[in-house]
Amino acid sequence: MSAALQGLPRTVLRLHRTALLVWAAVVAGLTGWLVYLNEVTAAATRRAERACAHTDVCIDSFDRFDYGTTVGWIGTLICYTFLAVAAFAGGALVGRELESGTARLAWTQGVTPVRWLTAKLALPAVAVAAGGLTLVLAFRWGWSAGEDLIPVTHWYQSDIIVARGPLTVAYGLCALAVGALAALLLRRTLAALGAAFAAMWLLNFLLTRYRADLWPAITRTSGRSIELPDNAWRVNSGRNADGYFAVYHPASHFWPLQWVETGIVLAAAALTTAAAYAVLRRRAA
Amino acid sequence: MSDTALEATGLGKRFGRRGGWALRDAAFRLPAGRVCALVGPNGAGKSTLLALAAGLLPPTEGRLTVLGGTPAGARARVGFVAQDKPLYPQLTVAETLRMGADLNPERWDAATAEQVVAGGDLDPRSRIRSLSGGQRTRVALALALGKRPELLLLDEPMADLDPLARHELMGTLMAEAAQYGTTIVMSSHVVAELEDSCDHLLLAGSGRIRLAGEIDDLLAAHLRVSGAAESTDLSAHTVVESRVTGRQLTALIRPAGPLPGDLRTSVPSLEELVLAHLRNPGAPALSAAPAVTQGSAA
Repeated sequence: MSAALQGLPRTVLRLHRTALLVWAAVVAGLTGWLVYLNEVTAAATRRAERACAHTDVCIDSFDRFDYGTTVGWIGTLICYTFLAVAAFAGGALVGRELESGTARLAWTQGVTPVRWLTAKLALPAVAVAAGGLTLVLAFRWGWSAGEDLIPVTHWYQSDIIVARGPLTVAYGLCALAVGALAALLLRRTLAALGAAFAAMWLLNFLLTRYRADLWPAITRTSGRSIELPDNAWRVNSGRNADGYFAVYHPASHFWPLQWVETGIVLAAAALTTAAAYAVLRRRAA
Repeated sequence: MSDTALEATGLGKRFGRRGGWALRDAAFRLPAGRVCALVGPNGAGKSTLLALAAGLLPPTEGRLTVLGGTPAGARARVGFVAQDKPLYPQLTVAETLRMGADLNPERWDAATAEQVVAGGDLDPRSRIRSLSGGQRTRVALALALGKRPELLLLDEPMADLDPLARHELMGTLMAEAAQYGTTIVMSSHVVAELEDSCDHLLLAGSGRIRLAGEIDDLLAAHLRVSGAAESTDLSAHTVVESRVTGRQLTALIRPAGPLPGDLRTSVPSLEELVLAHLRNPGAPALSAAPAVTQGSAA
């Protein structure tokens, strides 16, 4: 019995080696792009900035704009890798096996359905966590190295906040569980792929929408109009009968916000995983 | 080791809460070491019964004992080939067999599996997705035989094979059964396909098990009779089917005692027996298996 555990992971890796190679290429590609931006283009952009300082009209600041936009785009891609994970988990990882009957092949090769699902979730989870961690570290490095060149992207932007912390990994793990559950419930590749994608998009949409409420914001009131600190995330502001008010998250709220949301997403992942096992136990003897 | 390969009592499976019963009230006993034909028309519940035995579906009601234990507990000792022969299309033949070795670490018999594959002139490096239906059947059978099962469940195994391959693979299966005492259950809706190789019969019809037992016993329990229509009284016997043509009555019966002397009798063929039961779903089921010996060990 215990010897089969050595064989089962090998089988799962062999079955999904294409997906693993693509994922490795994505991680390496995005990391390489960040390195290129910072090591090659950032220096040129800074040189142009310095040259600019001596003239009144400076068209070269477009370079700076380009750099910031590109980093923003990479952050967007890193953030939404979880959608690709959801599609993979609902489709190729579990859904296709149930639709084509190959899951039954595995279950009659002396592997219980529970151990099959465990291997199907654990190995991709390792890949998602390792890849996600690499991307987050690379992005954090790229972000801090070139922060002076990023005028248009802020820490509280919906995708940047995900890409700069454990949320990337948490969303990826949750997407795996959601994909597996959708596939076990629907047992159709395309339907499960779509459902997992939609469910993860919705979860991210709702958490993004209510993200500012996940940690108590700071409220300031004043008789005069309020200057917020640098880099503050303005949640609400205006003027009422008592004077001016502003509700905001200072940059120091990045980590509390990050951890609370990570906790929520990981809890959702745990619940979904438990549900997936419950469905599997009911479906298979 | 149990002397009973499969034993069902009141076994039923319904799909969904309001769905119809795919199988109901199934009760039979299959002794170990038999080669059993599971015969019945499409939709009779054959595949459901095999999936229940393979531990792929939980029964809705009743009980099914596999090799003396639960279907899930017997998983490692049971081989199963589903009707559509699912295999991973992205793997090569060699990788598929390596998967068999990986997933059945203590039982895998690489020589047997490779021999089955080699019989079909298959290149081990070709991908499963490039194989024909018959070649896929061969690989699926190799996977099932390679785990050296005590009970082998085959759902319509020969449907995709040409006559030559069918003959050869049937020979392989029979050799396996003879050498290792493997119990084999194979389903088909064609009786003739299995008649020569099987010694046990399970006849499924509209979700019920209509006949169960050794083929010889079942045949011996039935008679084809014919006689004059107005003077023949068969009410003392179980009549499976009777037909009157002109003044001639022909019937398939289970005699319950001595028959009137003016009847002509003959032993029915297996095909006649099966067709008569399928044409007459009202005929009572018959289980001619040896007495149930639950719990007794060989």
